[in-house]
Amino acid sequence: MATTEHATFAVERDYKHAPAKVFAAWADPRAKRAWFAEGEGWEIKHFELDFREGGAESSKFRFTKGDETFGEETWFGNDTVFNEIVPNQRIIFTYSMDRNGVRFSVSLGCAEFKPQGAGTRLIFTEHAAFFEGGDGAAMREAGWRELLQKLDDHLTAAN
Amino acid sequence: MKERASTHATFVIERTYKASPAKVFAAFADAKQKAKWFGGPEEWGPSNHQLDFRVGGKESSSGGPPGGPVHAYNGTIWDLVENERLVISYEMHLDATRISVSLGTTEIQPNGSGSTLTYTEQGAYLDGYDDAGQREEGTRELFNQLERYLDQ
Repeated sequence: MATTEHATFAVERDYKHAPAKVFAAWADPRAKRAWFAEGEGWEIKHFELDFREGGAESSKFRFTKGDETFGEETWFGNDTVFNEIVPNQRIIFTYSMDRNGVRFSVSLGCAEFKPQGAGTRLIFTEHAAFFEGGDGAAMREAGWRELLQKLDDHLTAAN
Repeated sequence: MKERASTHATFVIERTYKASPAKVFAAFADAKQKAKWFGGPEEWGPSNHQLDFRVGGKESSSGGPPGGPVHAYNGTIWDLVENERLVISYEMHLDATRISVSLGTTEIQPNGSGSTLTYTEQGAYLDGYDDAGQREEGTRELFNQLERYLDQ
């Protein structure tokens, strides 16, 4: 029997960098890969980003130290389609997560970039449907908090 | 620079139908069947409904009141479990303006010899053009139309 759990969460973070710079780190494939996909202990099989409305992002990765948690050779897949891109202001996208080819969630993500002094307030809202064996809202939200921290680290190192 | 504002909301509609889960699911899966109930009011005319029912497949429909704006629906299917679940991400446009992006989950469960359908919509309603209340009202009407179709 299929089971589905729905959840919504929002994460806010202030950056000292201007909206154009924060937005660019989502739009540029090398920058996005650096904060979104790369990380210690992660092996990336592929990462592709075609940043335009109707364009796709696709990545496949595994946590090399995660065999005890996930079992051996557990590959995760992320497939994203961009619904709306308003430069420097808003990105809306739909994405799915797969584990070894089995879909375990579909989400709607909305990133909003608002000027905050000389910097940016980023508000990320996710509406998610978690399927059988899905990670659930608490883990997903923690994952996004970590990603938005990595985005900060990337912006600070690059600018 | 136009001010952008997104309203995020979720609504849930639960309906019971006399038809079995397989029959209810078929009314979503079969393009000919879906075109019979999934559309605007009669005065909007034909809806140009298109459906490619598979994961990654697209669905589209458009129409509107005579002389009024064109309401265009464009969806993509993201997950399917036969007779049980359907997940579609869709955008609504009024003429050229995108007014919402939503994630719609339809769950079908057996209920006696009939079915319980639970539809959950989680959406971003954009820039003041639409809100969850209007969308819920319109979606309830679609499920009334589905009931009339299933009862035929």
